[in-house]
Amino acid sequence: MTAKNKSFIFTQCVNILKSTGKKAADIHELRAIIADISEESIFHHTCQYFLKEHVLEYTNDFARWAGESLEESSLAEHLSNIDPYDYRNMQGLRNELLRVIDDYMKKYREPRRAIPGDEFYFNETVTLTFPVGIQAQNLAEFLIGIRFIDPQSIYYHFYEARMRLRNGVDDFSLWMEQVLGKKELAERIRAIDPFMHHIEGIRDFIVTAVEEEVKNEMEVIH
Amino acid sequence: MINEYFGVAPKGDLLLIQKLGEKFRSRSLVHINSTREGGGVAEILYRMIPIIHELGIDVRWEVMEGDERFYDITKKIHNALQGYPEKISRQMWDYHFEVNQQNAGRLSLDSDAVFIHDPQPSPLIKFKKKGTWMWRCHIDVANPIHEVCNYLKKYCKKFDAAIFSVAQFAQEMPIAEFIIPPSIDPFSEKNRELGDKEIKETVDRLEIPTDRPIILQVSRFDRFKDPIGVIEAYRNVKKYNDCILILAGSPATDDPEGSEVLEEVRQYAAGDSDIKVLLLPPFSDKDINALQRIATIVVQKSLKEGFGLTVSEAMWKGKPVLGGAAGGIPLQIIHGITGFLVYSVEGAAFRIRQFLNNPGMAVRMGEKGKEYIRQNFLMTRQIRDYLSVWYALENRGKSILEL
Repeated sequence: MTAKNKSFIFTQCVNILKSTGKKAADIHELRAIIADISEESIFHHTCQYFLKEHVLEYTNDFARWAGESLEESSLAEHLSNIDPYDYRNMQGLRNELLRVIDDYMKKYREPRRAIPGDEFYFNETVTLTFPVGIQAQNLAEFLIGIRFIDPQSIYYHFYEARMRLRNGVDDFSLWMEQVLGKKELAERIRAIDPFMHHIEGIRDFIVTAVEEEVKNEMEVIH
Repeated sequence: MINEYFGVAPKGDLLLIQKLGEKFRSRSLVHINSTREGGGVAEILYRMIPIIHELGIDVRWEVMEGDERFYDITKKIHNALQGYPEKISRQMWDYHFEVNQQNAGRLSLDSDAVFIHDPQPSPLIKFKKKGTWMWRCHIDVANPIHEVCNYLKKYCKKFDAAIFSVAQFAQEMPIAEFIIPPSIDPFSEKNRELGDKEIKETVDRLEIPTDRPIILQVSRFDRFKDPIGVIEAYRNVKKYNDCILILAGSPATDDPEGSEVLEEVRQYAAGDSDIKVLLLPPFSDKDINALQRIATIVVQKSLKEGFGLTVSEAMWKGKPVLGGAAGGIPLQIIHGITGFLVYSVEGAAFRIRQFLNNPGMAVRMGEKGKEYIRQNFLMTRQIRDYLSVWYALENRGKSILEL
């Protein structure tokens, strides 16, 4: 969105992966590194999880590693239940990760070790953002745009926006509400559970909701 | 050339490449490696350089020169980095440096960006005049011989950044370390679309029966690729599911064990005419392409793997794949989504049976796999990443860069 013309400017992000050089082989090591690692790394392993091809069984890399590599299913469930968008900054999210791990370690004192090569590797990213050259001034144009853009653009507006705007909402619904005055449509989009869908599923949901809205508008005119 | 990729590669990758091309217009970039022909690095540079040039970047590809003694030494360094016990003497390291010193006098190293590929030319960093220098390591250095690795680090840590293929290969060094997986070129001889006639020519010449499902593994005859394990899995499958097994590979001149393993495989397969063990000449790219296209299921049951791009090649052709959970294979196969990861002969047999008995699932996974490769493992993504790393290093300290 720009203040100038209030168009929705579709933007995309590309992440280039960086290694931090740190790895954990068990929960104790995982905890120690989470306590100390960069905020960019916490962000990558939680918020950017949705950009990667993933199984819906887990909602972040830590949960997936706990479930698949350590076979600590209960810990994986607890970690998967953390909603990164509940926290206004990465320090809050880091503290919650540590709390969940500490609680688990109080109950289970002999955690398993990952087999060599299957350790948790802490990474972070450099993110490049750029407009993809598509703007929408109304819902009909928006509908064409959202069908055309790459999944990374959906990620940028639907997931990444929640941390960027620090208000927990996505770019799409914000534009629909603030610029187009479509409060009801915005609420439908905000009601999508971000953890229970792949990006293409999110796209399908938004397309259906906007399509219905456009159809309704046309019927009113008719 | 970049126009060829429109409609094939992701739109965003092509857009970003062009935007970075604008940023770096008329700037100079050089790639330096140790061979013009043979091997994955040369193969991808050969295709990549014209595209980068088309973006308006003044790009060059330089090849260092060395004698037999130099390459004997670098072969040993390469082996040691992959974990094979090798001793590199002081004299050998000195000669390694000396040859690089001679090359530094011959090569023009004053580009704005310099990509040094693999350990052979790494001492060139000592002769840096200007620009951003990146060391691109294509080798599996997850479990190296530490003495050799540590010596080499003396050079590597002088670079502005190192680039590894997989996070597990990254080393603790006081420089930025990026992860850039390798890629396949959809228009190369190994991956381009083939006509029915071209496929039939390979099938007829290699005498491949096509009346039953075909299980294929393409790899060197190397114990780490577990060809014997693949035959065991096939025998398990064969009990209820009639099929053909093809094990196809080229001889590796740098692998003295290759012929021994091939002989073992032939003996183990003897007496079963439904197992085809094919020793293909080097550069049999079109035949490999055809075999992958006629296969029903493609297997890469590696126990140890560098990256395993044969998995991406098969997925790009829409084939259902299963692979050992080694090296870069888990980056390509998302278990249960784009294929199956296996940990044993029994696991491999079970997944082959699943694919054979559920063709709908095999088709769905094949389609998912092809899209996953399109999004993540085409050469345009690798060009995007190289230029992005250069851009990130010129804008150090920022984790978000707006273009």
